Amino acid sequence: MKPRTLLLFLASLTLIGGMARATTEEAEKHLQTAVNEVITAADHTSSSSALETTVRPILEKNISFDAMTRHAVGPGWRQFTQEQQKEAIHLFTTLIIRTYISKFTPGEHPIITFKAASTPAPGRVEVPTTLLYKGSHYDVTYRLENTGGWYITDVVIEGVSLIANYRTQFDAQFKEGGAISVIRSLTRSVDEKR
Amino acid sequence: MKISFSSLRLILLGVSLPLLTGCATLSQNKPNPATSTTVNDKRDGKSVNPSDDDLDDYKNGVSIADPLEPLNRGIFWANHQFYRYILRPLSNAYDAVLPQPVRTGVYNVFDNVEFPVRFVNDTLQLNFGRAGQETGKFVVNTVAGVGGIVRVSDHIPSLANVPAADTGQTFAKWGIGHGIYIVLPVLGPKSLRDTVGLAGDYALNPVTWISFGVIGGIGSVTTLAISTPDSARTLHGKLDTYDALTRNTLDRYLAIRTAYIQNRKQTALK
Repeated sequence: MKPRTLLLFLASLTLIGGMARATTEEAEKHLQTAVNEVITAADHTSSSSALETTVRPILEKNISFDAMTRHAVGPGWRQFTQEQQKEAIHLFTTLIIRTYISKFTPGEHPIITFKAASTPAPGRVEVPTTLLYKGSHYDVTYRLENTGGWYITDVVIEGVSLIANYRTQFDAQFKEGGAISVIRSLTRSVDEKR
Repeated sequence: MKISFSSLRLILLGVSLPLLTGCATLSQNKPNPATSTTVNDKRDGKSVNPSDDDLDDYKNGVSIADPLEPLNRGIFWANHQFYRYILRPLSNAYDAVLPQPVRTGVYNVFDNVEFPVRFVNDTLQLNFGRAGQETGKFVVNTVAGVGGIVRVSDHIPSLANVPAADTGQTFAKWGIGHGIYIVLPVLGPKSLRDTVGLAGDYALNPVTWISFGVIGGIGSVTTLAISTPDSARTLHGKLDTYDALTRNTLDRYLAIRTAYIQNRKQTALK
């Protein structure tokens, strides 16, 4: 390899490395802003029922519910009609928001420590964090995807992936009766008295 | 009643090893890094990338052999009713009778006494650094924390967040598979490996020794009821976790099974 070619090759590697770092930092910054927004909103809300109204717009802005639903349903997603896909996303969004909000108790302030992020694949970033909440420590990892901006696509609490958990349940429903069965059980869960 | 705990553990291991090895299938729940996709569609301002790979991201879901599923589902249903109508009111009563500082003190004392469970398992895992941390925690909390009532170690950074080791985790680190999935009455989800591990935890718990060695009979059962890891003092938190995991689900049984296996996998990595 000629010295100039080698130099160019090394320069391009450095550039790619720098770009990857910048991308990871961008995702981390985006996540930190989103998490802080949620915590601030939760701090200023006195009841669990009001929390959903306050936090919902922040979550909708920062979470890709489309990607979450597709990941949770899996390959069966291709067999959903466009209408069914829209309905599934709408229902699943409600479930995810409720699940996320149920982790909060008004008046309890979590302390979050962000750790070094990793890039499992281009356009994907995983940010591990430690959460100190009600005197206990929890490992929480956020998975983000760059789909025209950084969006959260999964939250893993103490090793339990929110999406992997739903995937098992969706798989069983899909095997039983396809998209109709998935949507029926989603509707039943959303309508369930809390 | 005199029990040789080392013998008990060996017997349990001997009985369970052939059953445990190679039975379970636990696979990654992490998205496959090779399945990165490109942006090719947009909906509601967020891009959608419905390629085949993307949809298969979680294909290697978490699984465990569940040949007893019909029986397990029956016990799970009974447990659900028991938690809802018996344990939840009991837990509320416990919380109402004892003020928070007292509850915290009770929790701390028993947690401190359970030091041998964590120390022995850290040692069996050859994690001597963590065994040392556990010893440090025990000494600090016993001496400065008045017999463990106050967790002084929480204010010492090197001792503040030491992951608790258990026997099931030790088996996992030794390469023993989960075996089959079992739902135990009252105690809930366990794999065969962790059921044997639970017996090991009981055997290593000094409260068990005192209960059966000194008190005996009904007294020992009562002492165990408040001292074991699944007791009244930890009930509230466990029921809250159970509620959080079973709310907003399509199938409670599958939600708990998947969460349990994922969480135990994470514990084995700590």
